[in-house]
Amino acid sequence: MVDQVSTSVGESTFDILKHLGLTVDFLDDQTCCGQPAFNSGFRSEARPVAARFIKLFEQVNGPIVVPSGSCAAMVRNYYGDLFRDDPQMAERAKQVGERLFELTEFISRYFGVDAITGKLNDSATYHKCCHLLREIGMNEEPIEMLSNIDGLKMTTLERADVCCGFGGAFSVKMSDISSAILDEKLDFIEATGANIVIAADSGCVFQMQGGLRRRGSSVQVVHIAEVLAKSLRNVISTESAE
Amino acid sequence: MKPLTLNFRNKAAETMGDKQVQQSLEHVYTGFFKGRLEAAGDTPEWEELRDKGKAIKDHTIAHLDYYLGMLADNVEKNGGSVYFAENADEARQHIIDLAHARNIKTIIKSKSMVSEEMALAESLNDEGFETVETDLGEYIIQLAGETPYHLIAPAVHKSRLEVAELLDDNYKSGDRVPDATELTMMAREKLRGVFARADMSVTGVNFAVAESGSIALVTNEGNGRMSTTVPRVHVAVMGMEKIVPSIQDLSTMLRILIRSATGQRISTYVTMVNGARASDEEEGPEEFHLVIMNNGRQNLLADPQLRESLNCIRCGACLNACPVYRKVGGHAYGWVYPGPIGSIVTPVMTGLKDAHNLPAASSLCGACLDACPVKINIPRMLLELRHRTAEGSADTAERTSSKAERGIWKLWRAGMMGRKRFDLGARLSWLLLRPMAKNGWLKKTPPPISRWTSTRDFPIMASSSLRSKLSKRTKKAKS
Amino acid sequence: MTDREKFISNVTASLGRSTVLVPSDESGTDSTAIFEDAATAKSHADRAMSYASERSTELIDRMANMAAVNGWKVHRAGNPEDAADLIADISEQKGAKSVLRSTHEVLTEIGVDSAVTNTGATLGVTEHSGSIDANKIEQAKSDAFTADIGITGVDYAIAETGTVVLHPRSGLSRLVSLAPPTHIAVLRPNEVLDSLTELFAMERNDYLSGDLAGSMNLISGPSKTADIEGTTVTGIHGPLEVHLIILENR
Repeated sequence: MVDQVSTSVGESTFDILKHLGLTVDFLDDQTCCGQPAFNSGFRSEARPVAARFIKLFEQVNGPIVVPSGSCAAMVRNYYGDLFRDDPQMAERAKQVGERLFELTEFISRYFGVDAITGKLNDSATYHKCCHLLREIGMNEEPIEMLSNIDGLKMTTLERADVCCGFGGAFSVKMSDISSAILDEKLDFIEATGANIVIAADSGCVFQMQGGLRRRGSSVQVVHIAEVLAKSLRNVISTESAE
Repeated sequence: MKPLTLNFRNKAAETMGDKQVQQSLEHVYTGFFKGRLEAAGDTPEWEELRDKGKAIKDHTIAHLDYYLGMLADNVEKNGGSVYFAENADEARQHIIDLAHARNIKTIIKSKSMVSEEMALAESLNDEGFETVETDLGEYIIQLAGETPYHLIAPAVHKSRLEVAELLDDNYKSGDRVPDATELTMMAREKLRGVFARADMSVTGVNFAVAESGSIALVTNEGNGRMSTTVPRVHVAVMGMEKIVPSIQDLSTMLRILIRSATGQRISTYVTMVNGARASDEEEGPEEFHLVIMNNGRQNLLADPQLRESLNCIRCGACLNACPVYRKVGGHAYGWVYPGPIGSIVTPVMTGLKDAHNLPAASSLCGACLDACPVKINIPRMLLELRHRTAEGSADTAERTSSKAERGIWKLWRAGMMGRKRFDLGARLSWLLLRPMAKNGWLKKTPPPISRWTSTRDFPIMASSSLRSKLSKRTKKAKS
Repeated sequence: MTDREKFISNVTASLGRSTVLVPSDESGTDSTAIFEDAATAKSHADRAMSYASERSTELIDRMANMAAVNGWKVHRAGNPEDAADLIADISEQKGAKSVLRSTHEVLTEIGVDSAVTNTGATLGVTEHSGSIDANKIEQAKSDAFTADIGITGVDYAIAETGTVVLHPRSGLSRLVSLAPPTHIAVLRPNEVLDSLTELFAMERNDYLSGDLAGSMNLISGPSKTADIEGTTVTGIHGPLEVHLIILENR
């Protein structure tokens, strides 16, 4: 999704990691972790794709950072089940999983929630994406990170930890239920009066943005990587202007 | 109860279109869900209690045969009788026979989901016994001729007006709608008379203690106490998984059950009975009967991937936490057990083929696992059942995926197995969709994405992939 | 094979075994208390009792607070006369014509009988003598359903949850605390346990030593329901009003 649709999330992730002083590599051959098929029950289609992912990332050392709690959860928490009849592959999956982190998790764990001190004049609210919150365990950390951005006024979103209704294929297969859940979310978003909604998974971003656009709302939904990167760029451009 | 799981989509749509029910379902969040959160927050050792509860249930279920034997021995030692029912028909017939043999006139029923599996109240009424549900919610549902909407709040979808129409004999359309207190007092008056004349009771079992042959009942209303006090015959019905080994285990289980169910530290009444009345008592039943039912639970037990679902203590916390339940309501699930846990046990107990929409109806948000007092990994099992309906992995007869669906995922895999194909696929979709897009978003799309765009705009692919953008950057940096 | 044997062997097979396996504490983490022997159970129970008397002042205070949260109307009485006056007041307030009481010692101590009868109400005791026959049973039931107030002591109380624990027996009927619209429970110091853990430790010890009561009721406030639009209403089947009178140490 990041690779083909929201490429700026990827670019932003790249920029943030570089800003933190890291050497960043993008494995050109990568495609997908296999979650869409896995979540739809098609494990025999998901398995070779997941195996491909494992083999690819076994070839490099160091931490693997993904700007999605959902992908991170797939690799770390569900590959074991996907390969439960193949202990060898399950073990390899575990090894890769131990090196794999979601972006905000990686930053808060190794650099601290105050590592990104950018600047962005806007008003925002934060939606807690389910998998980042419950599978990866990032709750208040991303919000703390955002509150360190100079000029960014954060407003609390009511029921921020309730699902937006995306759920991958669920959003298409059970479109009416997905939309009903989304509607409630959008009401709470609009009630905050914020200009932007920040979320940490592209799927949720599409769901909420797609719904807001259909409502004719001007509220923008942006990925947390984009916000962090943009806030950093603002600092750099101010500095160079001086 | 006959399963109606095939109707999931229709029933869900109907509920989502019903403003009054949607409003009632708000209480599931603001009342129960928030109550549980507060109760858990007020309990410093909450996570330890959950782990302990899980350990007790894991151990019990792993030795269920042993503890069933122990329970039966001890109930009999206490003077009670035990009936083992393989299915709902056997259990129902046994209770009907008991009532006939004792010339019973009036039966009071306390809340029991297991009795719903047998459609017991209805059957007993058909047999000529005056049979009255005594939990207020169940009573309302019985008057309405419906089935429970929620594990612990059977009438949560009913408005005060609907209740007034059912309970208030003098209510006429247009009258002032009585408030909850007035309605509750009307029910009190009606049910008092029933309690006084009841000669048999049927209750559920919250926990059955194997070592002492005791059963524990948890109620706020007091109907559980009436049922174990007034009638001369007490019949308790339980699913075979409802056992704890030791009396001491009750302290853990009651704490997590009650806090998770209603957010209370304790319910108003917890009653423990060890059979019929003691020889020096004037009150309490002369006879105690325990009916232990299987009814398809062995399929869960025999399945290592799903066995964990038998740890469920029926608190309803996963329903309250579930964004899907809070939209589609309890009746959409089509059988006794709604919500996330229902989406696991209903398909296995009634047939996955008809119930294939239940495990599909989840965004996999994980709120159910967070809420579960015994940490049942519901999302993992939903995924397992989806695997079975998609590919027939456990039984080919359970495969309900369409040919088109299978084709799409095959194609998806082909696209994901090589970077060139991956890019090509994305570029092709971009070329196809670009003419219809405005500012990178689509208002209309061809099937199956049309289901998305019926309510939301859909994002179009980027003009080029992240890979090519990043590689362009690298080149730029080098030159 | 009997139904029971068939049923259980089915379960055994579902567990992937051919015979019933006697469990042991395989995890070593005492997942369930069933592996605790009688001596351990006794030491838990003894500790619960000694804790209850050592910390009675603190436990009484916690009990009073939690009971109030649950909807008990909590009264503190400095001496038996005050307790009797409180009961007489409630009785008059309610316009009680008939009052039932248990045989808890504390009720005799505070002179409940004269306190009640002085208000003009009749007083019955839920105790019986001689053999129990159908007439007596009907009479007891109808007495309880027509009584205006039921008065009991407590067998234990639980500070964690604001709970009164009663073990029905001759002298303490099941209905005296359930059927009348008002229930008054009189609590003495040293009767308050810390938590459910202590209560069930004592119950388990009673069971292992052959003294388990036939039944037990934990009562935590007035009968309640929230089945109509989530609005909490007190007094659906049991008492609408419950009073807890705490008789302080003299």
